[in-house]
Amino acid sequence: MSKPHDQNERRRFLKTSAIAAGGSLLGGLVGGHAAAQQPPMQGMGPGMDSMPGMKHGGELPKPIGEPQAGPPTDVSDVYDGYSRFKPGRGNSPDSDYYLGKLMPGFRSPDAAPAPFVAPDLEKLPWKMVRGAKEFHLRPMAVEREFLPGYKMNVYGYNGSMPGPTIEVTQGDRVRIIVTNELPEATSTHWHGLDLPVQWDGASELTQNLIEPGQSFAYEFDVHEEGTFFYHSHIPMQEANGSVGFFIIHPKKPFDPPVDRDFGLIFQNFFIEPSQTIADSWRMDWNWHTINGRSGPFTTPLVCKHGERVRVRIMNFAPMQHHPIHLHGHTFWITGHEGARVPKSAWVPRNTSLIGIAQATDFEFIANNPGDWMLHCHMVHHMMNHMTRQVGPRVRDTTVDRYLANLDVHPSGDLTKEDPGFRTPGYPQKMQGMKMSDEFMQTIWNRREVQGMRAMWPMSVMGLMTTLRVLPDDLYRIVMESDEPVEKGAVFAEIVRRFGTPARYEAAPKMKGRM
Amino acid sequence: MTKLIAAALLLAAPAFAAAQQLLRLPPAALMPKGGGHEYTRPPAIPAPLNDIAGLDYPEPSIATSAYALDSLLSLAASNNPTLVQARLHISGELAKALQAGLYPNPMLSYEADQIFVKNDRVANTPGEFQGAIAQQRIVTAGKLRLSREKYQRRAHVAEHLAVTQQFRVCNDIRIHFYQALAAQATLAIRRELQKTAEDSALTSQESYNMGQARRPEVRRTNVALQRTRLDVLSAENAYQEHFRRLAALVGAPLPGGAVVGELMPECPVLTYEEALQRLIAESPELAAARAKLSVDQATVSRELVQWVPDLVVKGGAGYNFESQEAVAAAGLQIEVPLYDRNQGTVQQARSDYARQRREIDRVELELRDRLATTYQQYVTSLQHAFEYERLILPELKAAYAELLQSYKENRVDWPEVLMAQHDYFDARLTQVDNLMHARTQEVLIYGFLLHDGLRAAQGIAPPGHIDAVPKPR
Repeated sequence: MSKPHDQNERRRFLKTSAIAAGGSLLGGLVGGHAAAQQPPMQGMGPGMDSMPGMKHGGELPKPIGEPQAGPPTDVSDVYDGYSRFKPGRGNSPDSDYYLGKLMPGFRSPDAAPAPFVAPDLEKLPWKMVRGAKEFHLRPMAVEREFLPGYKMNVYGYNGSMPGPTIEVTQGDRVRIIVTNELPEATSTHWHGLDLPVQWDGASELTQNLIEPGQSFAYEFDVHEEGTFFYHSHIPMQEANGSVGFFIIHPKKPFDPPVDRDFGLIFQNFFIEPSQTIADSWRMDWNWHTINGRSGPFTTPLVCKHGERVRVRIMNFAPMQHHPIHLHGHTFWITGHEGARVPKSAWVPRNTSLIGIAQATDFEFIANNPGDWMLHCHMVHHMMNHMTRQVGPRVRDTTVDRYLANLDVHPSGDLTKEDPGFRTPGYPQKMQGMKMSDEFMQTIWNRREVQGMRAMWPMSVMGLMTTLRVLPDDLYRIVMESDEPVEKGAVFAEIVRRFGTPARYEAAPKMKGRM
Repeated sequence: MTKLIAAALLLAAPAFAAAQQLLRLPPAALMPKGGGHEYTRPPAIPAPLNDIAGLDYPEPSIATSAYALDSLLSLAASNNPTLVQARLHISGELAKALQAGLYPNPMLSYEADQIFVKNDRVANTPGEFQGAIAQQRIVTAGKLRLSREKYQRRAHVAEHLAVTQQFRVCNDIRIHFYQALAAQATLAIRRELQKTAEDSALTSQESYNMGQARRPEVRRTNVALQRTRLDVLSAENAYQEHFRRLAALVGAPLPGGAVVGELMPECPVLTYEEALQRLIAESPELAAARAKLSVDQATVSRELVQWVPDLVVKGGAGYNFESQEAVAAAGLQIEVPLYDRNQGTVQQARSDYARQRREIDRVELELRDRLATTYQQYVTSLQHAFEYERLILPELKAAYAELLQSYKENRVDWPEVLMAQHDYFDARLTQVDNLMHARTQEVLIYGFLLHDGLRAAQGIAPPGHIDAVPKPR
């Protein structure tokens, strides 16, 4: 690898190639002809407008894409009863292809491994110096925008939290020069690597601390393969975000090959309301991030229908384990931060408990098109800054009248009795979730989310992200074109092709702004 | 042994019961079934206070009448009796000066001497002399002038004391005006705090329904609400008290109403030295004491000439029955100051003079003493008032606003917002108190430490004393 991975550059390349190779196709997908090419749907008229019972029939997105193109024909679809294009189990749990266990992706086994993608994180560049891949890592205080408009102060590396990904290949010799730009001493631990002890990075036990402004060069041979990470070995620096991926590709590519290789770092912080500095001394945690962002600012993992996908999740929460749950798919656990698990020990799951400082790799065939949640299942991790619901927000009054005159307390109606309060436990639905226009613009201003349902940001919060499984034509529209895509259009199209369109209700527009 | 203990317990039991009876015990508590077994409604938000709450609650509580400080001062000037008293003290002293300077009246007498004296013709005549005599005391050594001057100087003292009284009245009006103003502001803030407590009670009900509060907590919130309502009543009563005291000072009945003015001190802030120099130079009490020294000086002068004998001359015309002819009579009388040269009174007057010199020192020291305390309270209250105005209130208000904004963005709990609001309102109460004290002390510092405007106006002699004599000197 001679230069860092650049997703934008890759996307530009794909977009250019697509236009060069099949410009007419893409033009046809998003243009006004799409509706004319759309085959009539069962139970529907020529458009969605006339669909009976449709609450927002007039606003349902128009058909897009090219469903007639269908799935690729040059790949094997079914292996021992398991299809890469529709959910299923296969013929036998004892089969190598049960739940798609060993079903290969589209990628050739001879090709290089699928590029590792950690959404919203950069990769650390390197250059060959005296026979070793030399990286320069700089621990420092950084500002990270957890959500649009929420710039939090944490620790990280090279201006990023989590730090940039170090990506090497098994057998490489690496030299990592750590220059401490923090105002306090640090050391760097290479988590999971079996190193000569002097490079382990355990502060004071194996090396002297790296004082502010000083550098320390770690140099070792890498014989491991799999998902690893580096982090400060000062506990409070760890709790403040000092971590990054250390991905080691196997010298002999893993079999079966995957088409996508995603990496997600899950973290928690405690940040007081109206505060931006993480309090690493707290024992509870109210901010949750994936690769340094919280839902709905987390970037979806977008893949094509039928691909084999690997997701590597690393839990770097200070003291909370995360039961990670993927909707719509059953995955095989294929490795941990220690090493790839032998195939005989792979376990199928929908949810995997990932402990602190553990990583889990899982793989699956993306055979179920749609937008699927991928999240920690702990209720309090599915939101940030959770607060009690008492007060004006449950009284149908606005806080603005309190803000209008701070010297006077608006009168409350002591005789008022909300009928809801006749039910013990009311209310359990969180009320008053509002997001500003600027916030929503930033959320929507990303290709990865184009065509999702209008209300999706209301449900993807905290330690949550989404997996988007898109048919090839829709993938191209979303990821390889700059065409505007109406909110809900991609989702509606998937429902048309794979769901029950007669019973589909479009999402309401959020007060006219979405 | 066991019997002994049992006997002791039996003896102690009545004593314990007696002690219990000495205590006024509240009514028995309603004992609900243990919580946590099945749903129980939370204690309801208490109703407003009972009938006695309206006992001293004028309708409406704040009438439309509004009183400014200047109008109250004008009313007091013509109605406060002590100001009239002070003026009468001056008149009294001037009357004495008039009296003391009046020249003694002549004496007319009829004299008959040596009745039954014999002469050649009559064995017993009606007398050697029978006739009318006029007698006039000729006052010497300027005694009358000195006496008049002495009482004129006393009138001057009374003038200073009248100024003192004016300050007492005006300062007291000001102080009670600001206290009424503060009570009014306190009442307004207490009403806001009541609304906060009502909000807390509502929040408590909501929390109960969401399993976030238990019944004892709801009860505590209800009690807090009721105490806040009592605080409002106390504040209303306090305002009524201050307004009524203000009316008493003014000396005229005032229909219920509001006072309008500014609580924030407005005069330039004085250092202790400035305040002291101003007090020493301009205090009417000290001026009166100095003027009284002048009176005592005049008294000494007056008593020094007292020994100088007046001449009493007399003359008349009559008939000498012995010589049987009209004759004249003449006489001159003078007291010979052989023993009484007024030494004692002179000594007394000189002692009084010396005493008064010490009195000036005493008054000055007393003023310093009073100023020390007043200035301490002045500077402390100003420090508090200005700092609350500059930083504490804005900070608390900002904290409340930030929490409100955070609540709006679903970042904080409502009870935390209410607590911040309570803190802000509570600090405003403290600030009202700070301002009231600062204003009071400012009035005293600028008003020569004088107050107590219903104290009888002070004269040069003790009130009620009659020192008028036929011929004061």
